[in-house]
Amino acid sequence: MTAPLLEVEDLRVDLRTPRGTAHVVNGLSYTVGPGETVAVVGESGSGKSVSVLALLGLLPERTATVTGRALLQGEDLLTMAPERLRRVRGPGVGMVFQDPMTSLNPVLTVGRQLTEGLRAHGPVSKAAARARAVELLGEVGLPDPGRAVDRYPHELSGGMRQRVVIAMALANSPALLVADEATTALDVTVQAQIIDLVERLQAEQGTGVIWITHDLGVVAGIADRVLVMYGGRCVEDGTVDDVLERPVHPYTRGLLGALPDLATADDADLATIPGTPPAPTDLPAGCVFWPRCPVRGDARCETEQPPLAVVGAGGGELPHRAATWCAEGEAS
Amino acid sequence: MTSPAEQEVLVSARGLEVHFPVRSGGALRRTTGALRAVDGVDLDVYRGETLGLVGESGCGKSTLGNALLRLVPPTGGTVTFDGLDVTAMGRKQLRELRRRAGMVFQDPFASLDPRRTVAQTVSEPLEVHGLHPGRQARAARVRELLELVGLDAGVAARYPHEFSGGQRQRVGIARALAGEPDFLVCDEAIASLDVSVQAQVLNLLRRLQRQLGLTLLFISHDLSAVRHVSDRIAVMYLGRVVEVGPAAAVAAEPQMPYARALLSAVPVPHPELERSRQRIVLRGDVPSPARVPSGCRFRTRCPDVFEPCPDVDPVLQPVGSAPGHLAACHLHGVVGAPVQRAEPGAPVGAGDPAS
Repeated sequence: MTAPLLEVEDLRVDLRTPRGTAHVVNGLSYTVGPGETVAVVGESGSGKSVSVLALLGLLPERTATVTGRALLQGEDLLTMAPERLRRVRGPGVGMVFQDPMTSLNPVLTVGRQLTEGLRAHGPVSKAAARARAVELLGEVGLPDPGRAVDRYPHELSGGMRQRVVIAMALANSPALLVADEATTALDVTVQAQIIDLVERLQAEQGTGVIWITHDLGVVAGIADRVLVMYGGRCVEDGTVDDVLERPVHPYTRGLLGALPDLATADDADLATIPGTPPAPTDLPAGCVFWPRCPVRGDARCETEQPPLAVVGAGGGELPHRAATWCAEGEAS
Repeated sequence: MTSPAEQEVLVSARGLEVHFPVRSGGALRRTTGALRAVDGVDLDVYRGETLGLVGESGCGKSTLGNALLRLVPPTGGTVTFDGLDVTAMGRKQLRELRRRAGMVFQDPFASLDPRRTVAQTVSEPLEVHGLHPGRQARAARVRELLELVGLDAGVAARYPHEFSGGQRQRVGIARALAGEPDFLVCDEAIASLDVSVQAQVLNLLRRLQRQLGLTLLFISHDLSAVRHVSDRIAVMYLGRVVEVGPAAAVAAEPQMPYARALLSAVPVPHPELERSRQRIVLRGDVPSPARVPSGCRFRTRCPDVFEPCPDVDPVLQPVGSAPGHLAACHLHGVVGAPVQRAEPGAPVGAGDPAS
């Protein structure tokens, strides 16, 4: 394997809230290689979005405490001067958020917003930037890019807006693309178009992708590796086949069991996980999942936090790891 | 589950239309056209079944759900509920319809009044319809309803903000069940919930249906969830039901190219399957419902478009091998009303289903 694009080590994020300190991310470590897609999955409040916002310095400074290391091509994003970080966003990292309408400025044309990013990161003439904007809109498959460039966001459909946001994220050919629930607000047919687009661009440019989603179906299609988050911790990670087909952690298993499945529909009730996820201000001692865990097969569950350890045949370059005292061996 | 042919129709739409006027800007605000949100829907909902209604945003599925209950007035066609003409109902009949047909909404954070306790919210329909008269009887009924949806009766005195999304949705379901309805429209009822909580609510809906003999119209963009809960599935595109049939048949062997593309786009959590499968990626965007294409409304994006598509508006006709599986597509034989062009003499009307 070549040197990783991004190396995150022991990332921790605490947020000060009126209800006390929220431990939103608690020791997250992972790497993303060039051309690789890492999916971060979890339910609301699992810390998946905050973990990437922290990398990019997008959390409010006054309330957020971020520790750990995050090396992007060898440079630590977390200790970088704000001025330098601003230079890195764009050519280094592109971001696509869930709702394209909130990422776009409603009173500026699409072209204006695209050229702004281009000109901020290099000496580009107005005309050249505009030409590049038209080219980018064409690349992301917007029909009639020459005219689309002068349109306002409200004149475009949701799918077209998200393409514009992707064009903006890709404007400076970033080494890493972060997609945070980028297709969640879109219809499935549009989602298929967007996923196609990202995969094509990734193949062409060798972009590394962090894809944050709660949709395990999307994960199955795009990810090389999967990281399952719960209560701000990574509870299981490994190749997409290992995690989705041979899940070990009771939470991952519960999540997969709770999913209605078009491919293997049957009449049985869905498995459910009782209760709700823990509040980040009040995480349980021991394993974060134990209050909802159907197994609780070990005396240490309630008191001792299980480490992320290799499970199964494992080893190799992409080991399958889970943080549980109750690895039940292979899943059915 | 019996075959649809033997079943009794509870709710029925024929040629149902909901058109909204499109007005020009400026002072005159002249009506310049119509936004055809629901545009000639023929659909039957059988007593005791769950009918899943799928389609993408803007296809008119929510408007259809609302029109069936006359929450928006239809501008054309008919709706019958248990044999009664919903479009012609007077005040009294409409009130009875409101009791017999309930609705569960998408956002449990928006659909509950934050200033009312759970008990107040759930007992309101009881007061409105004069059910279980007397404070104590109502309180007892509220407790019963809360237990029915899996909530502790002790939560009655609490306010919505004290609950999680899943619990709020249970409160919404309890309220919808208060009038002992026959028919429940669930409009994206699980869309805003986390996966593990979605499963709880889906299981609850299925249990309630069996227990109470409810008829459900389950509107959702989540095809996997729809497949899981539904006996039959109807697929909507641009204001029209374009395919309908037994859930297994529609999910496994969709017959109309749009339904095929839609189903093929649903990602499933199996890496092996996902890698090997051929996704049908549609070109372009859905046309505006203010400018519906002539003939087959899907023809502008259809990979299989051929000569009759722009000229004949297809109607639902039997397709595939499963009984009751219908699709509106000329690939299964050209059936439908010719499009009226400028020249006179073409037959008028949208035509009735061929079934």
